[in-house]
Order: sequence, then structure tokens, then C-alpha cells
Amino acid sequence: MISFSRTGGWQLMVRVCAMALVGLLLTSGAVPATPNANAAPKTHVVTIENMRFSPDALTVQRGDRVVWINKDLFAHTATAVGKAFDSHNIEPNASWTYVARNPGEYDYVCALHPTMKARLTVL
Amino acid sequence: MKFIYTATVAALAVAAASAWPQSAAPTDPQIAAIVVTANQVDIDAGKLAKSKSAATDVKEFAQRMITDHSGVNKSATELVHKLHVKPESNATSQSLQQGGEQNIAALKKLNDGAFDRAYIDHEIAYHQSVIEALDKTLIPNAQNAELKALLVKVRPAFVAHLEHAKQLQASLGKAGE
Repeated sequence: MISFSRTGGWQLMVRVCAMALVGLLLTSGAVPATPNANAAPKTHVVTIENMRFSPDALTVQRGDRVVWINKDLFAHTATAVGKAFDSHNIEPNASWTYVARNPGEYDYVCALHPTMKARLTVL
Repeated sequence: MKFIYTATVAALAVAAASAWPQSAAPTDPQIAAIVVTANQVDIDAGKLAKSKSAATDVKEFAQRMITDHSGVNKSATELVHKLHVKPESNATSQSLQQGGEQNIAALKKLNDGAFDRAYIDHEIAYHQSVIEALDKTLIPNAQNAELKALLVKVRPAFVAHLEHAKQLQASLGKAGE
């Protein structure tokens, strides 16, 4: 009986310590360096295919990643009209990743094919 | 001079349109030859325009045609090898080849603005006739699923090129008058 009780006490100790440790981690994580530090940055994919950006309108949170994947037969670019970002040539079956750090609405085009237009909104 | 130029373009447009007999049902090897020739003809015209035009936007368009149509032909050639299809020359591909050579011969006689307008006008007629051929003849008749899929995949590029050429035609018209 006694030994059982001792074991139970020990287990409780471990549990309390573990909970304290988790609490500590949570507390340190709750003091963010930036407002979005709690939410892990997401990765969004824009597919370039059939001379189109898909989706052609995308809204992301600041700090998110946007990956443009070129599934067409020739090179394309994702170039903001104001040059806030510019992938330069993305070859067929290649991709380009952009970390959206600055909030704003960005109309962008394929610099090689001016009929290809889309918009990225960074909140 | 203007009459001669207009007549040439009209003749080329008719030649391009008649290059696609709607009643013919080409086989896959024939379709392969038509696709490769159609792209090559536009690559050749693009090379001439890139070296001969003085307008930056026309040169850029020409380079785009060279790059994109080379990309299409690379994919088409790879697919043809994979499928063990041997492109088979036919009346349509020969007519295209001939039309392309006539276009280049006519363009070589022109300079400056007249060259740019004739090149772009022909690009519009060419892309329109290829899109029509894709829709009415090539895509419906392609037997192999992968060949059909490739034709479907290249169609939007021809549409975008046509749109781009029309934009250039509008801006050249303004600059020319």
C-alpha cells in the first residue's frame, strides 16, 4: 500500500513538473516579437498554367509564403506592377517563393505575357 | 505602296485560312507534323522580325514567339518520341511551310513601320487560323490522349499571343498615322 502511494506521488511530481514546463514554454511563446508570431506563417500556392495565374486573386497574412509553380510549357514571371516583387523568369516545372512582408494590394503580371494579370493582397 | 501591302496581307490571310481544310481528318502522325511545322513557321518569322524591326515592343513580341513556340515544339517533339509517332508530312503541313516562306519573302521587302504592321497583321491572321484549326480539326481528330492533351494545353498560349498581337496592332496603328 505504502509503496503504491509513493509511486503515485512520484508520478504526480513528474506530471506537475511537465505541466510547469509546458506552461513555461507557452508563457514564453505568448510574448510575441510581432503580432503574427503566434500564427505559423502559411504557404500559399499559385499555379501558372494555360497562360493563367490560379487563383488570380489571393489574400495572405503578412509573413506568409507564396509559391508560384509554373506548369506551362514556357517561362513566365510574377512581376508586381510597381516592381514590389519580381520573380524574373520561372522556367517550366520550376517555382518561385516570395515571403509577403509588406501589407498592400499588389497587381501583378507576367512580364513576358502582358495578357496574364492577377492580384496579391497582403493583410 | 499601301495597296500592294494590303493586297499581300489579304493574300497571306487567305492562304493561312485555306491551309486548314475542315473536311480533312488528319491522323496523329499528320497532326504531329502540322503542329511542329506551324510552330517552326512562327519561330522563323519571329527571328526575322527580331533582327529587322526597330520597335522595342515588336522585337519583344518576336522574341516571345521564338521562345514560346520553341517551348511548344520541344514538348511536342518529346511526346512524339515517347509515343513512337513519326511526324508525317501532308498537304496541310506543306501548305503551312509554303505560306511561312511566302510570308518571310514578303516581309523581307518591307521596312520600318510597314514591316512592323505587316508582321503583326500576319501574326494575327496566323494565330487565328491556328486556333481555328486546333478547335475544328486537330483537337477533335487527335486519337492519342496525350497528344490531344498537349494540343489542349497549348491552345491558351495561342489565344494570349493573338491578344498580345492585337494590342500591338492597335498601338502601331496609332503610331503610324
